[in-house]
Amino acid sequence: MTLIDHLHTDRRADMTTTLAAAPVFDIEAVLASIDTMATRKPVAAQIVSVANADGTSAKELSAAVACDVPLAGRVLKLANSAYFGMRGRVTSLQFAVTVVGFTTVRTMATVALTDLDDESRLPADFWDVSTNLALAAAGLAPRFGERPQDALCIGLLAQLGVALLHHNDPGGYAELSARHPAAAARRTAEVRNYGIHALRLTSVALEQWGFPHSMVLPLREVDDLDAPEGGLLRTAFELAGRLCAAGHENVPVPVLSGGRVAERDLAPVLESVRAEAEELRRALLG
Amino acid sequence: MAAVFHSTILSDRMALVVVAVVAGARTVAWTNDKAVELFGYAPEDFLGLPVEHLLPTLRGGELKLLLRRERTVSMTLPVRSASGAALECVVKATPDQAGRLWTLRVFTVDGDQERAVKATADAHERRFATLTERSPVPMLLSEQGMRLAHVNDAFCALVGLRADQLLGTGWLGVLHPDDLDGVLEQAAAVLDRGEGEVQARLVREDGTVRATVIRFAHFFTPGVGAGFVGTIEDITERLAFETRLAHQAHHDPLTGLPNRTLLAEYVADRFDPAGSGLACIFLDLDNFKVVNDSLGHAAGDVLLVEVAARLRSVVRPNDLVARFGGDEFVVVCDDVDEDDAVALAERIVETLGRPLHIGGLDHRPRASIGVTVQTEEHACAEELIRDCDIAMYQAKVGGGGRITVLDHRARAQARDKLRLVADLRAAIEARDVTLLYQPIFSTADGAPVAVESLARWEHPERGAINPATFVPLAEENGLIAALGLLVLDETCRQLAEWDRVLGADAPARANVNVSALQLDRHLRGHVESALERHGLAASRLSVEITESALVKDPASARTVLLQLRDLGVELAIDDFGTGYSSLAYLRHLPVTCLKVDRSFVAELSDGHPEITTAVIALASSLGLHTVAEGVETAEQAAELARLGATYLQGFSLAQPMSGATLTAWFAGRLSVLR
Repeated sequence: MTLIDHLHTDRRADMTTTLAAAPVFDIEAVLASIDTMATRKPVAAQIVSVANADGTSAKELSAAVACDVPLAGRVLKLANSAYFGMRGRVTSLQFAVTVVGFTTVRTMATVALTDLDDESRLPADFWDVSTNLALAAAGLAPRFGERPQDALCIGLLAQLGVALLHHNDPGGYAELSARHPAAAARRTAEVRNYGIHALRLTSVALEQWGFPHSMVLPLREVDDLDAPEGGLLRTAFELAGRLCAAGHENVPVPVLSGGRVAERDLAPVLESVRAEAEELRRALLG
Repeated sequence: MAAVFHSTILSDRMALVVVAVVAGARTVAWTNDKAVELFGYAPEDFLGLPVEHLLPTLRGGELKLLLRRERTVSMTLPVRSASGAALECVVKATPDQAGRLWTLRVFTVDGDQERAVKATADAHERRFATLTERSPVPMLLSEQGMRLAHVNDAFCALVGLRADQLLGTGWLGVLHPDDLDGVLEQAAAVLDRGEGEVQARLVREDGTVRATVIRFAHFFTPGVGAGFVGTIEDITERLAFETRLAHQAHHDPLTGLPNRTLLAEYVADRFDPAGSGLACIFLDLDNFKVVNDSLGHAAGDVLLVEVAARLRSVVRPNDLVARFGGDEFVVVCDDVDEDDAVALAERIVETLGRPLHIGGLDHRPRASIGVTVQTEEHACAEELIRDCDIAMYQAKVGGGGRITVLDHRARAQARDKLRLVADLRAAIEARDVTLLYQPIFSTADGAPVAVESLARWEHPERGAINPATFVPLAEENGLIAALGLLVLDETCRQLAEWDRVLGADAPARANVNVSALQLDRHLRGHVESALERHGLAASRLSVEITESALVKDPASARTVLLQLRDLGVELAIDDFGTGYSSLAYLRHLPVTCLKVDRSFVAELSDGHPEITTAVIALASSLGLHTVAEGVETAEQAAELARLGATYLQGFSLAQPMSGATLTAWFAGRLSVLR
């Protein structure tokens, strides 16, 4: 029994979705590709590694970023975007690294590492969803006692698993997404088809690349309504769905957030996300 | 296996679990004591246990994510003990070369020490939060860049917004648009390093504005990035107070107009030596003293306030109206030519002239106005103001109620006059103003009995300057006191010199002229000092005061004259008959002599002796001596003697001479008489 078969067998007991076509997805290959990405893009991998180290200074990190000219340009652009409020005053890369923060730099390097900056290889709505998700998470973060900047990064990278699945099965994943627009139902379908859902795959990749546990845990707990660690990301996904997905069926946010967010709290966050999403996307993708 | 056991040897404090694939299932094949202790299973129950039991979140196929054949995988996840309790751990799975055995190293991540550290950190966080949240000082904390992570209640109260409206970049919206750049510059600098502060206005939710100083301090979180802590001081009231003080220092409290200081700064700011189009209009109210004296100072104040209001109403919005002092105002306007400035002055005259009801009377304010427009001759702002002052003075001299433009010729004259004043000041200080002495003769025996001191100024470039020119100049420019002291002292010195040379033949008395401006409480002291300094009796001196000087302030003049008389000094009224003194008043003055003006003496030759006759008769009837001035002919001298004049003075008798010449003249003359 393959791992996929095993996963399907294991999940059938608690999933009531219809049977899908036999999976053609090789999770082993996907996991192996996570290992080899660093080899193919050593500069980006080096930036992720430097950003992870506790003793790294802004000077060291900016020196690493400077080796990746496109990424350096994006970091500068992001630092000067409306999101950080610096209005064109960031002229040095070191200062840009300081302004956007190490976590964000690491996130941007990860985007480059995983080819997330190549939109031709991604689902059409990938960055719309990712930027809306990230900004929603950052906007809601204080209500969950989380740092907005960390939440932004989790949001930006949350769909890394989607990208990996899409890379490996473009047609199949597009069909799956079309059939299951709702996030929870899609994850169920992902497990059924690929043995693992996209968020879990993201968490595996991030953990493998040394991202802190605090960034991995929410991805792991997103489907467990009783797990407070997943509350922020669950709620942010709901907001991104409301903003990006046509025909999105609203799920009450008090339920998703464990009572931390009320529907009446959403208006300013939604407004802010709408205002900033496009610029964030431009800054990240160059 | 060697690697597995190597790990075992390395640490007996680390929980180790060896997992093997047995019949397709991944089960526990070996554990160390630490693992037994950690998981709580009896050793015999541990072996053969499916790994999924220990790692509940990796049920099903997800175990594959940890147990990779190609590489070591590390995960943070809960492990389940025999009692069912979950314990958050880092599990590091290392495969053997064949990919059928894995060594799991298990580290707890929420042990007592870590909990203690976390509790301490939480306590610090709570203390900091409590400190900032309840601090009366408005504070903000940036997380990264300009994005705020926290604001305290005091800051929310200061700007009238909720915290969630200010977090992120929301706080930038409360900064006054004109101050936003300054704040961003300073905050950006602090994000780089150090500390800094900036003054900025915050616009509250209700639209009101608070002036603040924002002080930034840099902080850096390793692995995260740079942020800042900002503390805000509300300086609205302090600034308002300082503004009031500054306003008071630069404005006239009565009219609220800028004062002379601010006027000077204002003109200086706008004055460009290479420019043109800056004009000053100087106004001096005519007869303001009459209003003050007749209706009282309160009425005078009402008039000034009304004039200020009318001036403000008639000028353009950008023109400046200042109170120069007293009843003087200055209007400054830019981008105008002379015609514009004169047109404005005419509008001012018209507006000021509207009737004003003060003190129960209708009054039509009137002003003398001087206008000056900047030319290339103006080197600095002060010259522009000074020129319009001169122009106003000319308007005043011309009769008041008129507008005078200081043209090129007038400016040249005024400057020439200024230079002459400076030269006169220097001449007085250097005692270059000299004295000539003209003898005065007794009609009784023709003997010279006295001399009159006459000041003379020989300008090094302009030659002799007429006293009729330089004495008024001294009076107008505050030099008359110094000039008077010089004359007094030099006369006394010369008298003492004559005493020494001529002995009993020295002139018995010297007459010195005193200006009306010298008739003050200091005059007696000055005279007394000069007499003492040169060892002279008071009777050797006769002080001559013009009739017009007595008319200006008769009561005060009489007081001073009484002091001089008490001192023993002779007193004479000069140019008698040319003024308008009251004859009745004359009777009460302590004078001993009247000097008949030369114009009346000249009339004698024209067959009109009436006034001279009357003056001599009047003096005689009051028991006063007379000195007839300007005696030009022997016939006049004879006629004056016949009319009863006591003394004679004139060119025909003796010309004014220097002290040395007069010494010889006196010696020779007296020897002839003897």
